[in-house]
Amino acid sequence: MTTLLSMTRRNIKLFFHDKGLFFTSLITPLILLVLYVSFLGNVYKDSIMAFFPEGITVSERIVDSVAVGQLISSILSVSCVTVAFCSNMLMVQDKVTGAALDIAVTPVKRAYLSLSYYIATYVSTSIICITATLVCLAYANAMNSYIGFREAVLLLSDVLILAMLGTAVSSIINFFLSSQGQISAVGSMVSSTYGFVSGAYMPISQFSPVLQKIISLLPGTYGTSLMRNHAIASTLDVMEAEGIPTEIVEAIRDGFDLNIYFFGNRVGVGGMYAVLLLTVLLLIVIYVVINCTCKKVRK
Amino acid sequence: MKNIIEIQNLTKTYGSLTAVDNLSFKVKEGELFAFLGVNGAGKSTTINIMCSALAKDSGSVIINGNNIDTDSDKVKNDIGVVFQSSVLDKSLTVLDNLQSRGALYSLHGKELRQRIDEVARLLDFSDLLKRTVGKLSGGQRRRIDVARALLHKPKILILDEPTTGLDPQTRSLLWKVISNLQKSENMTVFLTTHYMEEAADADYVVILDGGKISADGTPYELKTKWARDTLTLYGVDTESVEGLGIPFERLGDGYKLYVSSPHETKTIVIENGFDDFELAKGKMDDVFLAVTGRELLGGDGK
Ligand SMILES: Nc1ncnc2c1ncn2[C@@H]1O[C@H](COP(=O)(O)OP(=O)(O)OP(=O)(O)O)[C@@H](O)[C@H]1O
Ligand SMILES: [Mg+2]
Repeated sequence: MTTLLSMTRRNIKLFFHDKGLFFTSLITPLILLVLYVSFLGNVYKDSIMAFFPEGITVSERIVDSVAVGQLISSILSVSCVTVAFCSNMLMVQDKVTGAALDIAVTPVKRAYLSLSYYIATYVSTSIICITATLVCLAYANAMNSYIGFREAVLLLSDVLILAMLGTAVSSIINFFLSSQGQISAVGSMVSSTYGFVSGAYMPISQFSPVLQKIISLLPGTYGTSLMRNHAIASTLDVMEAEGIPTEIVEAIRDGFDLNIYFFGNRVGVGGMYAVLLLTVLLLIVIYVVINCTCKKVRK
Repeated sequence: MKNIIEIQNLTKTYGSLTAVDNLSFKVKEGELFAFLGVNGAGKSTTINIMCSALAKDSGSVIINGNNIDTDSDKVKNDIGVVFQSSVLDKSLTVLDNLQSRGALYSLHGKELRQRIDEVARLLDFSDLLKRTVGKLSGGQRRRIDVARALLHKPKILILDEPTTGLDPQTRSLLWKVISNLQKSENMTVFLTTHYMEEAADADYVVILDGGKISADGTPYELKTKWARDTLTLYGVDTESVEGLGIPFERLGDGYKLYVSSPHETKTIVIENGFDDFELAKGKMDDVFLAVTGRELLGGDGK
């Protein structure tokens, strides 16, 4: 146990010694925020207005609040995974510097070693993503959105869960890589595709039915949807309280992926948590097992 | 004396290249064992296999009675290794490095800290503990590498070209520390080096070429077999040297003759009544060159 702690401490220290790495990882979500706000803000608002038939009026604050919720849930769900990929490089770096060789000649258990990499990456990813979330929440607050304290806490916890998922996936992939170049390549591949396949860039409801089915098999989708719920649902409650017909509110829930369907069955928020946590657990087990079975360092 | 390392028919290939080729040898407990060979002979590969960092193709390696295939954890506790190139974390301090590596041997807290202070005193780097490893000089870093290998008090210390690129002071400090440990703890030292004068002090020498042993023995045996003694005669004229019928070279004031045995020397000196002469045993350098049939390509200092 002390060994695990000590290794984790080493890994975290190595991460934060590279100040450039920390700031570049942090800057990615912030750039996303700026881009979304400047280019997609109005697109989002228009897509919300489209749900309201003529004759029904809705306050500007509500429309803005839905747009903001949509925006920050998109950014955060993508960031958790891409940041994990950016910051999960120590395992590969150790292979390059020879530290992995030095560790391989010690009697340390591979399970501890692999967990120490996992935890260290998780900690640094979380620190970055939490910082980004606070910035997003400050933006939401400035826009006078309906995201309250409860929603903010839930969003922060979603970020922590998604960071676990991102760290687990990147750890498994990075286990098979052996150079910095490969990491960057995989990192940019993931950043460019993850937003689509998790429904963060475009609502899943706008994809073709076949694609929707495929996407519903990927756990990241449920992470995005969970965040959508926590970022938008409170505004929808206000909408209902203001007398907007339930059918319209329900249509918005479907259209913005607050409701998500697994082969026709609606998956509730509890189900989303279950999918995410079980996937994380399963991935960590897979990660540790591959580490334990591939014992020797090939140099 | 028991054998602390027993290697049988060890083979390792990289694609079509056979780096270690059916290699077998033994190392006795407490001895200084020199493992020599030209660049690319397979020394580092053998070492990596011995400390379970690299998978072998076939053969068996027994270290202190434990097979590396079945008891690798025990083996790892018995071995301390200084790699050819430094493998510490360059952006961390010396202390951080030693602490995180010590933890891998389940050394923690006070016990570890005491051990670190002990090796720091031994290798004279107490003043460097707070410095960043990446900013140390090559020789300073090498001492930390050795300290890292000694942290868990291994029974066997493996040194892969430990002294390449070091100044004479650091070299002699390292050797003093290592030979003290060898004597006081009966530690076995497994050494790879390109400095033949270091190998000359070894108890046993193996010379590797293309992954195979091309010669082995004590330095004395090797010198006797592979290197000719030289007899230098002074105060004689060229004719009398020519008259001996032995190949010679003119060297300043004297004549250098290659003789095959001390016995031959005795005969030459006595029969001809030479009274100013110098007899030198063959050197390990000569042995190495004769065995490998190639020029020795110095260390590639890293
Ligand atoms: N990872 C690898 N992949 C392919 N070939 C390798 C690898 N590692 C070593 N070799 C080859 O195996 C042979 C033995 O290498 P090794 O490093 O054991 O030599 P060495 O005796 O330690 O040499 P040196 O004195 O230069 O350190 C060399 O021909 C080398 O090119
Ligand atoms: Mg080598």
